[in-house]
Amino acid sequence: MTRRPVFVAGVGAVTPLGVSWAESVAELALGHGAIGPITTFDTSGFPSTVAASVAHTFAHTDDRRLGLAQLAAREAWSMARVTAPPSRIGIFMGAESGRAKLATVLRLSRAAGGGRVFDHQAFGRQERALASGIEASVVSPAAVTSELAREFGISGPAQTISIACASGAAAIAEATRAIRIGTCDVALCGGVGADVDPLMLAGFGKLAALSAHGVSCPFDLRRDGFVVGEGAAIVVLSAEPSPLGIAVTGIGRTLDAYHLTQPDPQGQGAARAMQAALTDAQCRTVGYIQAHGTSTQLNDAIEARAIQRVFPQEWANIYVSSVKGALGHWVAGAGAIGFLCALEAVRSGVMMPTVNLTQPDPACPLRHIMGSAVRKKISAAMINAFAFGGANTSIVIEQVTQ
Amino acid sequence: MSAAALPVAIVGAGAVSAYGAQWSGLGRALLSGTQYIRPSQELAASHPGTRAAEIQSLPAPADQSERRARLLMSRSAVLATLATRAALTQAGFGAPRDDIGFYLGVGASGGAIDQLTAMLAASIEEYELSLDRFGDAGLRACNPLYAFQLMNNFTLCHSAILHGTSGPNAAFFSRGTGTVTALSEALHAIKDGECTRALAGAADSCVHPVTWAELCRDGYAAQGLVPGEAAGILALQAGAADALALIERCTIHSTRARSLAATLVDAAPTLAGMDGVIIAPWGAPPRAVLVEFIRQRYGLLPIIDVSAALGESLAATTALAWLAALDLITAGVMRCVLILTAGVDGELGVTVFTKEVVTCAAP
Repeated sequence: MTRRPVFVAGVGAVTPLGVSWAESVAELALGHGAIGPITTFDTSGFPSTVAASVAHTFAHTDDRRLGLAQLAAREAWSMARVTAPPSRIGIFMGAESGRAKLATVLRLSRAAGGGRVFDHQAFGRQERALASGIEASVVSPAAVTSELAREFGISGPAQTISIACASGAAAIAEATRAIRIGTCDVALCGGVGADVDPLMLAGFGKLAALSAHGVSCPFDLRRDGFVVGEGAAIVVLSAEPSPLGIAVTGIGRTLDAYHLTQPDPQGQGAARAMQAALTDAQCRTVGYIQAHGTSTQLNDAIEARAIQRVFPQEWANIYVSSVKGALGHWVAGAGAIGFLCALEAVRSGVMMPTVNLTQPDPACPLRHIMGSAVRKKISAAMINAFAFGGANTSIVIEQVTQ
Repeated sequence: MSAAALPVAIVGAGAVSAYGAQWSGLGRALLSGTQYIRPSQELAASHPGTRAAEIQSLPAPADQSERRARLLMSRSAVLATLATRAALTQAGFGAPRDDIGFYLGVGASGGAIDQLTAMLAASIEEYELSLDRFGDAGLRACNPLYAFQLMNNFTLCHSAILHGTSGPNAAFFSRGTGTVTALSEALHAIKDGECTRALAGAADSCVHPVTWAELCRDGYAAQGLVPGEAAGILALQAGAADALALIERCTIHSTRARSLAATLVDAAPTLAGMDGVIIAPWGAPPRAVLVEFIRQRYGLLPIIDVSAALGESLAATTALAWLAALDLITAGVMRCVLILTAGVDGELGVTVFTKEVVTCAAP
């Protein structure tokens, strides 16, 4: 099938280091991190008490995902200067469900009798009062997509991709595919995560997935889990060349089909995703990889081995880093902020460091970037996003001649 | 001949719904007017008198591994694994399965309500929620995977893990047309050469006290919406000689800038030899628009309304419509079936299944 090229036309982000991508890039290049004590709710007794939180509050919406995504999308949209008609613009967002306010959840429990077993009769008697407290617009995974489509007048294809940690990258992959085959000419895409809340902190803590020390240090010998973060990263893709001169050239997606929470120890799914992206791009190697790098023992070691397998001759010359050291794990937004970091590497030659990486694990022998950014011109980069449940997405981007 | 040039064939399918754990006979039953709506057992306590299309019994787990895995699954995930197994088996998609794409329309998976209340019950201190207790006793009171029952991808991942499918994939949040997107992506993946075989479908359940409470709040119950639950999976391959049916088209059309009626005028095809239309509308208003359009455009072709017979199973209603069409084609009752999906996604889904390649007028 013929396929059109896909160019990056605009980028935007809201991160714990800045309310714009421009602001965040400067901080990231300096090796600054944003992980600190959670102040928005009492974390006493929780397995982890830190996160990478965005200081911004949103008075106009109870849906924090939407607030983050709107700011990021506006930055990207402004940069892209979109001129396509609305019917030729699509939107592809990586997002998971939002959550009702904890007060509402508590009312749910009380309405259901407050005991250890859900009392259906009690719930049914009180559900009318309860149901009004659960805002569909806050909870629905599609709420962000719908509202952004409305704000930007998008009436082309609209997708919400919910595939956990790979959602944002998968959304960019879907947008790439849609432009390639002509379903749309422009796509607003990316991902958002707003999981710094009691329920998700409890859930991840229950799995012992969070760092007991409250430190996110991907690929470090001392790593012991991830730190939850939040933010939104949005990209505008276009079938038309843009001044940025960067194209999405390869996408690869696989499933581990191995375990609900642990990656395949052989890293086969991850390696196949990376190889598929390279094959799709008709590209043999890249200069930089923005790794998934979660700061967990399993993921980082397996990802490192997979990188070595995919790039047997080249891996020692490929710079690798993970933004999760600085910004925590955004879950549905993770792959999208990774995409922006890789984009910056190709655009400006600035490759962000892995914050808190000071003692690289011998089991993760890669060309790590530590301390502050490495500045070197490169023409191609890869982004990895490997999700809980085993969905893997890898993307290749390249500098293209105008 | 490359995959891109060949029509994509349906070579297997699986389903579980109030009709049963199969799809054979489904279309014929719906064509005859049979309904599967009964007094709800699941909602009897919370919403007395509610009628629903509930699955009466599930096939037993295939082995101990699946029995253990089901303990960690949401209802949708259980349904998806059953339908996926049936589709893989009928299609003969054996190992290795790393070339099989998997594209699902999924709902907002809910954690078992008991988990949430158990967690919160353990967190109550002197009649108030104690976050201190929540982080400790609350966590110890619930399933370790509670957080991941809140993530929507596990409906797909459970099936992939059980059945070993590890190709390209996507989970699309669906309120109707998102499921059509899943099929569309599967078709493109095959034609692009990203995979040689694919699964596409959906699994979801509306039969949940909190879900039903929300739908009542939003007025759908008053419109006549009936809760249902289901999963439907198609197994796809390019140019298979032993196809059950061919997918002539699968398109999605935005209704955000225009009305559903106006979109139908441009999007619905004119098909030579079309035998019937199956609709998957979300609620009474889109149902009325679809029926009126069909009568005006296609005259007296038979119309099958999946949700009228099998309730509203959210992301999965469209998949059931496909399986009904597949049954009618494989049974020789029809040769060309149009399936129209109008959910609350703000889009119209247009799918056509045929017995053989047909020529269709634009669009």
